Amino acid sequence: MKTIDRETTLTTRAALDSRNLKSLLTGLVQKAGADYAEIRLEDSTETALSFMGQNLENVSESHLYGGNVRVLVNGCWGFVTFNSLNELEARVREAAQNARAAARLSKDKSVLAPIEPVVDTVRLDLLADPRQVSIEDKIALFGGYNDRILRRPGVTSSALRYFDRYTRLYYTNSDGTWLDRELMDMGFGASAIATRNGITARGTTSQGGRNNFDVFRNLEHDIDEAASDAVENVGAPVVKGGTYTVICDPHLAGVFVHEAFGHLSEGDNIADDPRMQEVLRLGRKFGEGYLNIYDTGLDVGLRGHLKYDDEGVPTQRTDLIKDGVLVGRLHSRETAGRMGEKPTGNARAISYRFPPIPRMRNTCIGNGPHGKLEDLIKDVKEGVYALDSAGGQTNGELFTFTAGKAFMIRNGKLAERVRDVTIGGNVFDTLRNITGIAGDYHVRDGSGGCGKAGQMPLPVSHGSPHIRIKDVVIGGK
Amino acid sequence: MVKKFTENLNSLCDAFEMFKASGRSLSVAYENDRLTEIRQGESSGMSIRAVKGGKIGFSYSSKPDEVDAVAGAAIRMAPYGKPYNFSFAPRQKSEHTRPYDARCGELSVEKLVGLGLAVKDAIKSIAPEAMAECSFSGGVSQSRIETSAGQDCSEQESSFGYFVAAKITEEGNFLSTYRYRSSNGQVGEDEILEEAREAARDFVVARKHAPVKAGRYRVLFSPGALSDILMPIAVSINGLNIEKKTSRWVNSLGERLFDERVTLLDDPFHEDGPGGGLYDGEGVCTQRRAIIEKGVLKGFCHTLSTAKACGHEPTGNARRAVSSVPQPGLHNLVMAGGSATREQLLAQAEGGLYIDQMLGTFTSNFLAGQVSGNISLGYAVQGGQRIGRVKNCALNVNTFDLLKSHIVAISGEREWVGGQYLPWVLVEDVAISAR
Repeated sequence: MKTIDRETTLTTRAALDSRNLKSLLTGLVQKAGADYAEIRLEDSTETALSFMGQNLENVSESHLYGGNVRVLVNGCWGFVTFNSLNELEARVREAAQNARAAARLSKDKSVLAPIEPVVDTVRLDLLADPRQVSIEDKIALFGGYNDRILRRPGVTSSALRYFDRYTRLYYTNSDGTWLDRELMDMGFGASAIATRNGITARGTTSQGGRNNFDVFRNLEHDIDEAASDAVENVGAPVVKGGTYTVICDPHLAGVFVHEAFGHLSEGDNIADDPRMQEVLRLGRKFGEGYLNIYDTGLDVGLRGHLKYDDEGVPTQRTDLIKDGVLVGRLHSRETAGRMGEKPTGNARAISYRFPPIPRMRNTCIGNGPHGKLEDLIKDVKEGVYALDSAGGQTNGELFTFTAGKAFMIRNGKLAERVRDVTIGGNVFDTLRNITGIAGDYHVRDGSGGCGKAGQMPLPVSHGSPHIRIKDVVIGGK
Repeated sequence: MVKKFTENLNSLCDAFEMFKASGRSLSVAYENDRLTEIRQGESSGMSIRAVKGGKIGFSYSSKPDEVDAVAGAAIRMAPYGKPYNFSFAPRQKSEHTRPYDARCGELSVEKLVGLGLAVKDAIKSIAPEAMAECSFSGGVSQSRIETSAGQDCSEQESSFGYFVAAKITEEGNFLSTYRYRSSNGQVGEDEILEEAREAARDFVVARKHAPVKAGRYRVLFSPGALSDILMPIAVSINGLNIEKKTSRWVNSLGERLFDERVTLLDDPFHEDGPGGGLYDGEGVCTQRRAIIEKGVLKGFCHTLSTAKACGHEPTGNARRAVSSVPQPGLHNLVMAGGSATREQLLAQAEGGLYIDQMLGTFTSNFLAGQVSGNISLGYAVQGGQRIGRVKNCALNVNTFDLLKSHIVAISGEREWVGGQYLPWVLVEDVAISAR
């Protein structure tokens, strides 16, 4: 204990990157008395500001500091979180005790897929560093956007949010991995709000990323469009409920692929469920030959970019559907181990407070052969062109999401705007019903994130070209 | 030590509010029949809102003993912040009490792992083909709020929650029937096992398929689905939407908005309610208050800031985590029960639907009253019974209209859904889209 006490006094923020920390943590995982052990330690600083209407509602600087110990003993997990490095050895002991207690009662046994241990230091490589932009300049930039929204006649209020978060993340496991990583995450979202005759509608825009504050500059066009959308949405009729051919813009199609197929592909849905394994058997045809879906951690600059996942596994591009056929899924070491497959670098945790579970990174529909938006629209007699997203949810088989704005399509042409377009569907039918994929892939990040198992918001990205889906149920009047 | 610090803070800024919280918890989860997680957590954190030059800065840290750094950051942020045009909570003491169950902090891994095994057996005894999913969590926490205006209040809270589900995923049919509850005290094993059996009985009914066509139906909403239907009300009474005038009810206090059988209370002292407290997130004493009384709008939900901006009295509805600034929110939303029984409502729903779970309704335009989403678990009703599950159908209603002129009857029985205690409600003439 004395050694620990002496060592922990060194782990102030100023000295957190000392070699002492590495020897402390790697020493602890090696002598944890577990079949496998890992320690994650995290220190992050977030600057955030938000506007509501004319007010700068909040400006803050926050620090999240803490860590966890995760051990595997006789096939059962123990997981303990902490805010202080004091008595770290006791936390490791508690995690092992909890795992042992569970192993005495439970017959369920976890195994981890093997990986090559990695020792690496990952430093930020930023095109424009948000920490070099003063809080005054951030307020001027985003406050300018807020003013611009509020100046639009017909707009009654606004909501803007910006954050940047710098994280120093240490990770070590008993396989010999040691990672000292820096991460940056930034996001911005703006809503223009218009209220008329008791009806409220929004127009939104967003941006985000990991390596370039400059993506938040020169957004006047996007801001003006969001303001116009609010005003025009509030005056638009509610869509008539029914079954339509729907064309989704890249942003909404990205939300669709995330909600509808990304979550389904996460290994923890599949690993212990033989019926699900049958539904999602590799080689099964899910769509037309031009349907390609993948999840990648390799797109530098996107919020879904990661060099390593939270188990120290290098990330990759993971094909899920190739030429219409299921070819892969998203694994942690545990789900890969249980299924006899290879880890894919998808084990992620939103913070030290949670264990890593299979999650997405940047989930995409690949470009297809059907040209541009105009080419998808021209054969549609009556349909809906749905753009942007107000969010979505899935239970694996069924999904619901809401478009940020929408227009009717009549006789191959865009027609009047409609509002409150909520699309519900069955994942499997919908994938089969994709009748067109354009070649105009686009990805744009935002300020939100993905939620699963109480872990929200996880920074992810999603991208797609325009897609056309037949027989989509839209709720409406 | 704290005393000395706040005196110091008084000299550094014009006004402040300090919120400290700490707690510990244990949770156990099973997925697909299998023990997947044992999570033990300790958490601590403090945040400060500091006023300097008439503006507010905020800072938070989860690192213990970082008060100076947090105060420094809050003061540094203050010149850019929101104008301080209200006052932090003055000295006040709640006259109420609230149950505290110390057992929530003494749960053992063995007990919760064993409970999971018992739930698994209970589900499979009724629905052998189902896979069991369940989780249990319990914990205790302490919080303290001090302000430069003299408030210094502390509260300790206990919490316990469970989730039990029977599920199957097979070609063309993903089904999960579940029950859950959050409480401020430990819930007995008998109740949890009975709820697991109830979820399994739902599963057996939902395994049968019932066709549904697009049309207008009588619909019986379970408390779980009703919770989604009430979202436009929760959003429209939120002080932020009153302040920003984005709620249609800005000038509607005292107006009859709903059927006179609709009465909604916010009850922070409810003996079973998970969402209550003696003080809100700004140290203001909470109140048991009517939101809608016999169909008439009676109250909004305010923080000190939104109350001041609207010229209203504070309501003690500041809700927050220690890491965030206060936002207006309800504690425990309690809806008055009616005179019918569940069985009577089911009989009156003849030829209609029983909706138990909705999917993705949170993306709806609540401020316009709209609630839209897939019906993730709904049943067709015939002969006073649920005869099977309806699928691939969606609901789109306007709550303001639905609860004003479509209510047929409300049940006397009520159930907890998170921080809401709600009855079953039968409504008529509801549009259902289906393929």
